[in-house]
Parts: sequence; structure tokens; C-alpha cells
Amino acid sequence: MESTPWDPEGAAALLDAEGKLAGGATLGGLDAKAYYKQLVAARSLDLRLSRAGVPMWASAAGEEAPLVATARVADDEEWIFGGGRDVAIALTRGMPLPELVQRVMGREGNAQPGRVSSSARRLAAGTDALGMHLSLAAGHAHAEKLAGAGRATFALCGEGTSTSGAFTETLALMAACDLPLVLVVRSQLWPNGAPAEAGVLGDSVADRVRACGLWTRRVDGAEPVAVHNTIASAAERARSGRGPGVVDVVVTQLVHDPPAHRDPVERLRRFLDGRGEWSSTFQDVCEAELRTQLDHAFEVLDEHDALASQRPGGRP
Amino acid sequence: MTILGHLAEVVAGLLRDDERRVLLGEDVADGGMLGLSRDAVKNPALRPRVLSTPLLPITSFAHAAGLAGAGRHPLVLLPGVGAALEGLTGLREAAAWSWRNRDSVGTPIAVPLCVVAPCGPGFGLGGDASEAAATMLASIAGLTVLCAGRAEEAGAWLRAAAEHAVTHGPTVLLLPRRVLLGAVSGPPAQSLGRDPTSPHRVREGETVTVLSWGAALSIATAAVEATGVDATVIDVGCLSPLPRAALEAEAKATGRIVIVHAGPRTGGIGAELAASFADAAILHLDAPVVRVAGADSPLRPADEGDAVPSVERVAKAIERIASY
Repeated sequence: MESTPWDPEGAAALLDAEGKLAGGATLGGLDAKAYYKQLVAARSLDLRLSRAGVPMWASAAGEEAPLVATARVADDEEWIFGGGRDVAIALTRGMPLPELVQRVMGREGNAQPGRVSSSARRLAAGTDALGMHLSLAAGHAHAEKLAGAGRATFALCGEGTSTSGAFTETLALMAACDLPLVLVVRSQLWPNGAPAEAGVLGDSVADRVRACGLWTRRVDGAEPVAVHNTIASAAERARSGRGPGVVDVVVTQLVHDPPAHRDPVERLRRFLDGRGEWSSTFQDVCEAELRTQLDHAFEVLDEHDALASQRPGGRP
Repeated sequence: MTILGHLAEVVAGLLRDDERRVLLGEDVADGGMLGLSRDAVKNPALRPRVLSTPLLPITSFAHAAGLAGAGRHPLVLLPGVGAALEGLTGLREAAAWSWRNRDSVGTPIAVPLCVVAPCGPGFGLGGDASEAAATMLASIAGLTVLCAGRAEEAGAWLRAAAEHAVTHGPTVLLLPRRVLLGAVSGPPAQSLGRDPTSPHRVREGETVTVLSWGAALSIATAAVEATGVDATVIDVGCLSPLPRAALEAEAKATGRIVIVHAGPRTGGIGAELAASFADAAILHLDAPVVRVAGADSPLRPADEGDAVPSVERVAKAIERIASY
């Protein structure tokens, strides 16, 4: 299949558009079926929350691979500093859906609605100022380095943040202090109507980051296997003291209606189907399982709100 | 010994006392612009916890808060409070970090971060001297702002701010450059010997209450001596959160208030205090609440001394209020 304007240049992929492993490539021990289930769950959650009336909600459909992969790669004790549109991280980390829904709807914790954080689950709250969570993550990684326990810290942001001073300062800090920090950037491509910064800076965050002297990889976010394995490599480097890493993941938001092969869930489905590991029954089971749990979670939320409204000064 | 030399000893002592402490700053590995990390870098046992960073005008405090949230006790040494103003964004996040991550379950994240910032006139550099840096910092919710007023207590203030015995969250300690350059009579105080967040009476009197802090404290005391008025002089010390109840009690004691501080009068901490007395102590007041402060305009480096009111101006105000 020929590449389309939607396909990024110079971004690594192991599966081709049809979901076939490129010659000689392997999964590298990745459990593709379990990973696929998590991607489907992330997608279903996103669709359900898009209808829940969260203020300032933005869908992450199409961006699941870097979210799910980061949560899979990070150990339970390793902190993740998300950057918005990242509810899938908490889901993949195993947060029970009733708790997740309470948090995302702003009924638990002090984070803003639409975000999920939990210090018990090592998910840091978002910040008010753009990109400042990257510097908090750098500080956290600095403490991990001093502790010498071989733990990495993870932070995520979108390519828009890459023009901020906080991003640039964080790169300088990561490089100068050799911090065990894995930075995952979700970069969008714009086949039509690119914003101003794309024209000024080119479309590759990785190119700019590489110029700062950091270990950098650019991968295709529509190809979840490469995304997972690259983030895993960056994490191993950080844990073993070989320094920080930046993984630039080129994502395609489904809201722009791209061709089907740009959807990471579909790409991995094609791979599984090609190996005879996918069936429509399997798909139905994956989706129904999460739908039932989500319905239950929203029932719990309604009960919680009903109780709260009965208390003096409670939510109306 | 100079005050700065004494502070360098205190900094090294703080690192020795608690292994969780780390020193942060762009030039801390070279002793720092004021030499505050000089003793620490000379000690091979402490050297690994002296963490030089690149210049991070926007994010240094978020980096420090990240370290603090992960169990470290960072001490950030700034060349001047101007760096804190450049980093207000990061300071806001540092101040909110513990609160933002708070849940109904789990252990809250503590942010034992201490920022040390020289401020005001003294080095002839101008800069922040004519700005209300303390007011800007005090307007950040969750941030504690302390200000040393007496040279012999500068080290004790540093120890109190860094030990977080009373202040649990991020704390900025302002060290007025005039105080750092001041003469010390006798050995410097090892410990403050009081709660750093409570106002402190440096002189007792019956007629007028003079409230002051930082670079203006010695001016206020000198002015009281010059007038011969029987005045109480209070070192406010903690500029945020203001110890309102204790200060209101002091205001009610004489009913005649003069507020003396460095920096512009407009929108200063003095304005907040005056408003608070009008609100809570109006029936106890026998005279207008008067503020004597520095110039309300930009100052050339050569004129930076105008950021602190003169003894004469303060004395005049005290005499007027005493006989009002």
C-alpha cells in the first residue's frame, strides 16, 4: 500500500499499513492480544466520556498507543506525569472504573475535571501552567537518580507544548543532569491546515530534541507495536543509568477522519486477524466487558451525587 | 565574620544535619554568587548534594518541587529575588503541588522546599529594589514568605525557613541586601528561639505601635530612638500568611499605628495590614494608620537607596501619630 499524506516521514513502524510485520521484525516479547484489549478499552472509555459532559473535554481517540504503552511499560512504583487527554493511562494502570469516573468527573481529589491523578497510583496531577508538569517530572526523576533505585520517571505532552519555555528548559535540565526521565511527545501531523508553529519549526519535534543532544526516537503512533517497544527501550536506558530519552510519537486524531490504517486499534486488529487471533466474537467480548463496567461506574457516580445532594451544602 | 560567611556555614550545617537536603542553583557548585554554598562545596561529604542546574528561569521551582515531592528537602539559592519573579509560574505550581495531588486516600505529598532570595537595595545594582517583590510572592496561595530584619538573626532565619518546623509547604526567605551587609554586634544567633510565623517585639512601648520588617526594621528602630517616643517596634517577619490575629492585638494595644517598610507603598503588604486594622480594630484606633515606605517609582541603580524610607521621614510620622 502506498503511503498517504497522513503517514509521517521518518517515523519508525514495525507493522505495515495492513498490519503485517516488516521483514525480520519481531514483537520483542510483547503480548499483542493483551495490548489490543487495553487499546480497545481505552477507545471505549474515550467514547463514553466524550458523551459525559466533562468541561473542556477533548477526545484522545487515535492517540491511545503512547498512553497505553507508557502505562504498560512503567512499573507500579514509577511515576507518570500526564499532560491532558490521558485518562487511558489510569485505566491501563488498573484504576477501578468507579474511582476513575469519580476523578474524571471532578468528584474526588483536587485535580481539574477531565484529568485523573492519584498519588497512591503514582499518577501526578496536571499543572495549571503549560508544560510545567515536565519540570516537576524532571525534579522527580532527579530525586530517583539520587536515590539510585534504578527507577525511571515518565512524562507526556503534546507537540504544542514543545514551543514552550518549560519544554526547552526541561530538555536542558534532562541533558545537563542526566536524569532518568522518559518524555513521550504526542505529535500531530496536519495534512491540511497546519497551525503556525508547524511552518516555523517543521513537523518533527524529534529533530529539534536531537539537536539538544538527547537520545531521541520518532515513531508512528498509528503503529502501536513500535510505540510500545520504543518507549520500553527508553525506559530501560533510563533505569540502567544510560540517561534520558525523548520518544516523539506521531499520532493521528480520529476526529480528523483519517484512513483506517491510521487508527492504532485497527492496525493491531489487522495484525491479530492476520495471525488468526482476532474474531468478531473476541471483539464483542472486549467491548461488552468494559461497557458493563462503565455503566456500573456511572451508576455509582449517580448514587454518590444523589447522596451528596441530600447533605447540607451538597452538590445540587 | 561577615553575615554572608556565617550564612555559608549555616547552609553547610543544614546539609550535614539532614541527608534529604540538597542545594540547587545555577552556580551553587562554584560557591554561588554570594558565596552561600562555598562551605558546602568544600566538604567532599556534602558535595554530591550540591546540584548545579542549567539556568532555568521559568522552571527551577517546579524542578525543585518535583524533588521535594519525591522526599528531598531542596534549598534553592537565588542570586536575587528577581529570579523568583521570573519564575513565578513555577513557584505557583510548587505552592499548589501538595494541594493538587491531595486525595481522600493515600499519604499527601509534602513539598518541603525553601527558596533563599536576597532582595532590595544594598549592592548598587538597582533591579528589584523599587518593586514590591514581597507583595507579588505573598499573593501566591500556599506559599509562605518570610523576611529577615536583623543582621544577627539572618542565619537563624535561614535555619528556621529550611527546617520547615512550622512552615510545611514551600517557603521563600527574603534576605534584604542591606541586612546582609549590616554590622553584627556580638555572635550571630544560632536559633530564632521563637515561631518564625509570629510577629516579634523588638522594643516595648506604650504610646505608638511601629510595625516593620526587612530592610526597614533598623530604620524604624532608629527613628523611635531619635524621637524619644515610647513606642513598641514589631518585626512582622512572616509576610504570608500574615499573622493577622497577633498583629491586630498589637494594633489594639496602643491604637496608634505606623507601618514602615521598604519598596513601594502602593499595593504593598503595609496596605494589607492597614486595611486589616481598619476592618478589625477600628474602634481601638486613636489616629490614622500611617504607612511610610520607599519610592513609588522606578529607581536608577545610583538611587536605589530611596527604596527604603529615611530615619527622618519615619521619625516625623511617629511624632505626628504620637501627638495626634
